[in-house]
Amino acid sequence: MAELSVVGKSVIRNDALDKVLGKTRYSADIKMPNMLHAKVLRSTVAHAFVKKLDVSQAAALPGVHAVLTAKDVPGLNGHGIIFKDEPVLISDKIRKIGDGLALVAAETEDIAQQALKLIEVELEEIPGVFDAIQAMDQDAPKVHGDSNILALRKILRGNVDEVFETADIVVENEYVTQMQEHAYIEPEAGIAYMEDDIVVVKASTQNTHFDCREIARNLALPQSRIRMIQAPTGGGFGGKLDISVQIYLALLALNTRRPVKLVYSREESIITSSKRHPCVIKYKTAADKTGKLLAVDVHAVADTGAYSSYGPAPVTRLAVHAAGPYEVPNVRIYAYTVYTNNPTAGAMRGFGVPQIAFAYEQQMDMLAEKAGISPLEIRLRNTLKNGSLTSTGQVMDVKGNIGDTLVPAYEKVMANKSQLLAPYKKRGIGMGCLYYGIGNTGQPNPAGAFLDVMEDGSAHLMVGAADIGQGSNTILAQIAAEELGLDFNDIKVTSADTGVTPDGGASSASRQTYISGNATLKAAKIVKEILVNEIAAWQRVLPEAIALKNKYVFIHSKQTDIAVAQLIARCRGKGIMTIGHGWYNPTTEPLDDETGQGKPYEVYSFASHVAEVEVDTQTGQVEVVRIAAAHDVGKAVNPLHVEGQIEGGTIMGVGYGLYEEIKIANGNIRTPSFATYIIPTSMDIPIVDTIIVEENANTGPFGAKGLGEPPLVAPAAAIANAVSQAIGVRINSLPLTPEKVLKALQEAGRI
Amino acid sequence: MSTVKVNFILNNKPVSLEVTPDCRVIDMLRENLDLTGTKMGCGEGDCGACTIIIDGKTANSCLVLAAQLDGKMVVTIEGLGSYDKLDALQQAFIDEGAVQCGFCTPGMLLSAKVLLDHNPTPSRQEIMQSISGNLCRCTGYAKIANAIEKACGK
Ligand code: FES
Ligand code: FES
Repeated sequence: MAELSVVGKSVIRNDALDKVLGKTRYSADIKMPNMLHAKVLRSTVAHAFVKKLDVSQAAALPGVHAVLTAKDVPGLNGHGIIFKDEPVLISDKIRKIGDGLALVAAETEDIAQQALKLIEVELEEIPGVFDAIQAMDQDAPKVHGDSNILALRKILRGNVDEVFETADIVVENEYVTQMQEHAYIEPEAGIAYMEDDIVVVKASTQNTHFDCREIARNLALPQSRIRMIQAPTGGGFGGKLDISVQIYLALLALNTRRPVKLVYSREESIITSSKRHPCVIKYKTAADKTGKLLAVDVHAVADTGAYSSYGPAPVTRLAVHAAGPYEVPNVRIYAYTVYTNNPTAGAMRGFGVPQIAFAYEQQMDMLAEKAGISPLEIRLRNTLKNGSLTSTGQVMDVKGNIGDTLVPAYEKVMANKSQLLAPYKKRGIGMGCLYYGIGNTGQPNPAGAFLDVMEDGSAHLMVGAADIGQGSNTILAQIAAEELGLDFNDIKVTSADTGVTPDGGASSASRQTYISGNATLKAAKIVKEILVNEIAAWQRVLPEAIALKNKYVFIHSKQTDIAVAQLIARCRGKGIMTIGHGWYNPTTEPLDDETGQGKPYEVYSFASHVAEVEVDTQTGQVEVVRIAAAHDVGKAVNPLHVEGQIEGGTIMGVGYGLYEEIKIANGNIRTPSFATYIIPTSMDIPIVDTIIVEENANTGPFGAKGLGEPPLVAPAAAIANAVSQAIGVRINSLPLTPEKVLKALQEAGRI
Repeated sequence: MSTVKVNFILNNKPVSLEVTPDCRVIDMLRENLDLTGTKMGCGEGDCGACTIIIDGKTANSCLVLAAQLDGKMVVTIEGLGSYDKLDALQQAFIDEGAVQCGFCTPGMLLSAKVLLDHNPTPSRQEIMQSISGNLCRCTGYAKIANAIEKACGK
């Protein structure tokens, strides 16, 4: 590939300046004249029938402009990313704590709050179900319809039973993982207002076009009458893919014809937002005596809570990735998504794979021990490589294998192995590997881009992809600039605004660099072709001889004095529009309902984490000393951003491994604050060594794949393996709290 | 509700305001003065997004009453630098990739500012300590610490 000028450079993101000055207006910072303030009346019980909901007193309170209930939803009273099973406002049955019952818009927040207290509610509580395994029982209380099993994903290959009968080595365990909170620092918020007959909603979100479709359906208006704009968003990590404030605000703005703002408190955010699925995973692996994998048999149950949200999709991804980045000829995976009256679980960075990695990677270490080989050796021996078949029967089309990330990460940690200080402290090293499919699983998931390249050599790129802090606006501008031979700063990006930008799909599934990146590249190629044809005709050379680079036209690799801007102006002057649009939809094949066979993803990223831990055998405290994170990203479009994603995701994974846990009792979140739900602080972090591996993907923009989620997948698994190496005992449940460590040590008679 | 008068210096300018006795500093800044650079992440003193500087020390503005500011010197993110003249910390945060979603950034910068005002050559450990009350969910903190190191010329 020719040398690149913009892609591969750590250009400075275009939103950083306003952010360091405190000038960026996030949703909660926006004020409009005549603005009202909204509040939501929420259920404090988990399962109940609504017998009475009387808002008359609230509506009569001076300063109140609207009190809305389910009957005020003009269209469908339901929303949800996959199934529309979550009411906008509850009309008959409450299914979880936090369900919305009524909305108030008032002159001030205080008045809105007072009005909530004036709403009369009468409920008939009914028994709930708070455990996914119990919920699968025929006799369990039903959350929706007549079964709590929302989905079953099967993946079946070969003959598993036969292999287990004769295999030399069999390892079987049950793993339990906890519910994790996204804990973005910005709580959900938004504002809505009328602009002529258009309902404009501006909010913190990861997918404006989805929001727009939902609002239109609920309001019974055409999508073109809804303009959904993403406000600068203070983190998402999957938790802002679901609807939060958007529909409420649209209803209130339409109803009052005034601007309305709604800002969630931290507690409201934690109670109402989706979470990472807690899972119970039974995992059985067979290998021959050399440690070569023969079969896996997996039975996973995921608690999806009261509403489907993204529910079945992360569980499907869990199933698809259940064998890890390894060749396994015989596979039987059953993964259930089950309703309960718990908080909803949906999308969270890693989308089911951190849970299953915690299981498959511990299995690998136990198999290695039985085969008498090292953890490194067993992974290298079984790695997926070019031509390998995955669990879904997809033929891998890759350049390298897991060793390309695992070996450097392992060497990094071994080279820095530290000395022990106290005899009651034990150190260990553990590894976790993964492959990760980029984009939605076996589903169409296109993204589009519009590009307007102007006479002065600047350009406007319009993409649906929401930049939630991960930096997609910067990455996409780099891709457009590279292709057009312009500077990064020549490209102005407008993103995630349904009034202006094409649909980009969700900022999820690590998909925007790859999919919106490809869409942007296609749009840029269209404009480039116009420019190249023009200059070729003008200079009487073949188009193949032309390159656009560093703002100048090159002919036969020699820089001319013709600026790209001049060429654009020439086209425009002749009436040739230098505009382009592009869209990209990765080629996938849906998974077969019965066998789970198919081609779920067009491209996979590979990664390995190696952790060194220190376990205090007196307190049970686990400290991660160092973690090396090696990621094959195809091509690092912006290495500084890549490092940022790896560091941030790894630390989130360390929190998942060691202490983060949403604790629930009878559907009630016991950890609804940052005082009770602990995320890593600057004092809790290990050294993170990021290692960037670039095995260009033929189908990626300039070879890039995706990166957002993989850093969070393996830390917990690597830490668990390291703890086991340190203390000689396995802990099969997350997080690895001091209590669990001490209990495991006691049970093993080691203290 | 009755109001009380507070006089204080905000970002080098005197301010005089009538506030209700229960008005928190964060609300006064964000609502009365439209200084929305101070962010609310929790409202309970747990996240540090609302960090400001009062008389040279960091404070969570969601935990302080506006009336308590009387006679104090207050710095918010709006007083740290401007488009024409960025503080060295702001420039370093930009250059080192310490900003992702940016929601923690104003609070982080002010915690770092107090550190450097008192200790121009802090160790990595001291840097980590100084921002330990500021949660960041995006970056994993390393790039923030790198930026603070860079700002003090390390
Ligand atoms: S908003 Fe003040 S500490 Fe979180
Ligand atoms: S940059 Fe997002 S919370 Fe720190």
